[in-house]
Amino acid sequence: MSEVLLHAEGIDKNFGVTHAVDHVTLDFYKGEVHALIGENGSGKSTFTSCLTGIYHKDTGTFTLNGKEIHAKNQVDGNYQGVAIIVQEIGTLSGLTVAENIFLGKENEFTTFCVKNTNAMNKKAQELLDSYGFNYIKATDIIDKYNFEDRKLIEIVKATHFKPQILVVDETTTALGEKGRKELFKVMKETRDDGRCVIFISHDLDEVIEQSDNISVLRDGVLIDTVKSADVNTDDLKKLMVGREMSNNYYRADYGEKISSEVVLKGEHLTVPGEIQDFSIELHKGEIIGIGGLSECGMHEVGKALFGASYDREGKVTLADGTEINDIKTAIDHSIAYASKDRDNESLVINDTIQDNIVLPSIENLKRNHILHAKDEKAFAEKFAKQMSTKMEGVHQFMSALSGGNKQKVVLARWIGKDSDIIILDSPTRGIDVKVKADIYQMMDHMRKNGKSIIMISEEISELLGMADRIIIMKNGRQSGEFERSEVLKDTDLIAKMV
Amino acid sequence: MTKFQKFRQSHWYGLLILVLIAFVFWAFFKALAPQTFGDLDKLQTYLKTALYYAVGGCGLYFICVMGPFDMSVGANIVLSSVLAVNMSERFGYAGLLIAPMLSGALVGLLNGLVYIKLRISSLIVTAGLSLVYEALSIYATNGKEAILAANYRAFGDYPGNLILALMAFFLCGFILKYTKIGTYTYAIGSNEVVAKNMGVDVDMYKVVAFVLCGFFVGVEAVLTISYGTSMTSASNLASMSRNFPPLMGTFFGLAFKKYGHPVIAIVIGEFIIQLLFQGFVALGAPTTVQNIVTGIVLLAIVTMTIKPVKGAVVK
Repeated sequence: MSEVLLHAEGIDKNFGVTHAVDHVTLDFYKGEVHALIGENGSGKSTFTSCLTGIYHKDTGTFTLNGKEIHAKNQVDGNYQGVAIIVQEIGTLSGLTVAENIFLGKENEFTTFCVKNTNAMNKKAQELLDSYGFNYIKATDIIDKYNFEDRKLIEIVKATHFKPQILVVDETTTALGEKGRKELFKVMKETRDDGRCVIFISHDLDEVIEQSDNISVLRDGVLIDTVKSADVNTDDLKKLMVGREMSNNYYRADYGEKISSEVVLKGEHLTVPGEIQDFSIELHKGEIIGIGGLSECGMHEVGKALFGASYDREGKVTLADGTEINDIKTAIDHSIAYASKDRDNESLVINDTIQDNIVLPSIENLKRNHILHAKDEKAFAEKFAKQMSTKMEGVHQFMSALSGGNKQKVVLARWIGKDSDIIILDSPTRGIDVKVKADIYQMMDHMRKNGKSIIMISEEISELLGMADRIIIMKNGRQSGEFERSEVLKDTDLIAKMV
Repeated sequence: MTKFQKFRQSHWYGLLILVLIAFVFWAFFKALAPQTFGDLDKLQTYLKTALYYAVGGCGLYFICVMGPFDMSVGANIVLSSVLAVNMSERFGYAGLLIAPMLSGALVGLLNGLVYIKLRISSLIVTAGLSLVYEALSIYATNGKEAILAANYRAFGDYPGNLILALMAFFLCGFILKYTKIGTYTYAIGSNEVVAKNMGVDVDMYKVVAFVLCGFFVGVEAVLTISYGTSMTSASNLASMSRNFPPLMGTFFGLAFKKYGHPVIAIVIGEFIIQLLFQGFVALGAPTTVQNIVTGIVLLAIVTMTIKPVKGAVVK
């Protein structure tokens, strides 16, 4: 084993009564990619946030190359040799690409309080060029670039100064093929250079493929550290969850007859620049999977069917002929929608779990036109518990929940509303295997109870495992359709995607 | 990308739109009131007024870009103006210039500190403190009208006013583009949490923004008192009406921020507003009509310029 680069000793972090990281002691070696895995809320991100200065640890020490470090914030962490690429967007609108890359490090270009903007732009462009991103201009306002390009800029920002420790926190789910390739290249270079990458991902195949060692956290406690070469995904799932997990948590049925009753029909849907002439018929008790590459337009289909797309052409109708042209009509007619962008489009982050669950059901909860706090609480508790949400209580703020638990709240909301048609966009994005299994089970249960589901997903195995029918999209159009079948393979779907 | 598309994304496109808007309004009123509106002398007068509002608008820009708001601009102008008069009597031009800039900055500092320490809305903080600043202006004048002596009125007319205003504009543009303050102002406005994680001392830079706002309002006070020559202390939030003229310029700055020249947009924006006001005066329209049309035109210009994305969240 090579030399220890970073030693974490007794790291502890509490958020109120939640013990997020519980005295974790762990070594990270020079020249390794060290994966951190665990269920949502297991403390992975909190641990690395303490390291990189996003949070302040309660107790414990981080020792890098024999010297104790305390990052006060991310930039301070950079100066002490640690950097992080976060899951959500980490660049700032309104600033140029160069200003984003050097945010907090302006002093490197400042003399007597005057910033040498030209020198900063020049340096930023040199860096972008050296990474092969020469189509990105340092002087451009960053808003000009899409999510993936902004992630690439973040990679440059986090790695250009060659940090000793690079944390990649659940970043790959936000990236397409090109972005992943670039990220893995940077991770490899970091490892080959004798530095260390701490890699957080829920994609266990990816974890085994990319890492040298894997540490598993559960409820904030370090469970074990294993060599990637010695384990398979089942071993990891067992370590994460603490018990054997069924290898196949998808539906087991094949050949079930789908009802002929059409509950939702989308005809010739077009959203300029997103989808073109897309048509779909959803039957009662059916799960339709929609897949494709991330920019294929599939995410817009969910919005279009929910009446949330602007400039939509074409028609969305229910079985009774009601046209769905806006969100209110959709909700009033028992349609639910969970967006891929959980924090911005699905949840009110600065509000409580209770308010988030109750929100679309307020009218149903009124008694004599008056809303009773007791009823709201009971309603929220019932459905939060039904989804096994990990929480202190329904009064807890959403912002304190992990990604998986936030998703459970989204689903609890729509189960509470008892919607008949549920549109789920990337329902298991950034979610651990246990919650995934819960969600699949819930979907199967809903299907059996006559609910109809449209599941938009970038995960092929999920589409194959859960959908009665799979629609594949490419460049905004429908490129293929498949019936549920045991012989259907991922390669069949991929062939229609690319 | 065609040449026109490239031009549309360039910094000069926004500038061209502003100049065109100004020209259209000038031509409109000139056609309707050729005798009473828009000859060269009158345009200079409109510009004179626009200049001092624009200086205050530059100050407000630092705050509005970040997200908070300052309702004490009017009270600051009144207090700084009466102090300018008092100090000019003792220290001449040095007193006229330094006292309002200093008092403006101190007002800004107090606004910023109270806002940060009490963690309550900037609207409430600055509206509440306005009452204090107004009371101070009464103490400073003993309730009498403060009149600037005739030998200290150089900044009330060209070229003094233009030189002082240009210096303020350059300073504002310089801070925004060539100092950390400018970068952090935009960063905090974009996402405070991310900015904090990047090591930006958010609280400190918010206070700095309030201080800068107060400082530029202090410069506006120099121009205001020099041009108007007298100032009456205010009470019961009577100074509130002075908040809005500089704010209109700030709106233009915010709307044209994406073109990279907010200061120029503030100046031309204020000039456009003056063209509108003076145009209605020339037409003999009642004040109420002037205000209605000016308000609508301001909203229309900003809306057309921003071209809001459908579904975008606007607060």
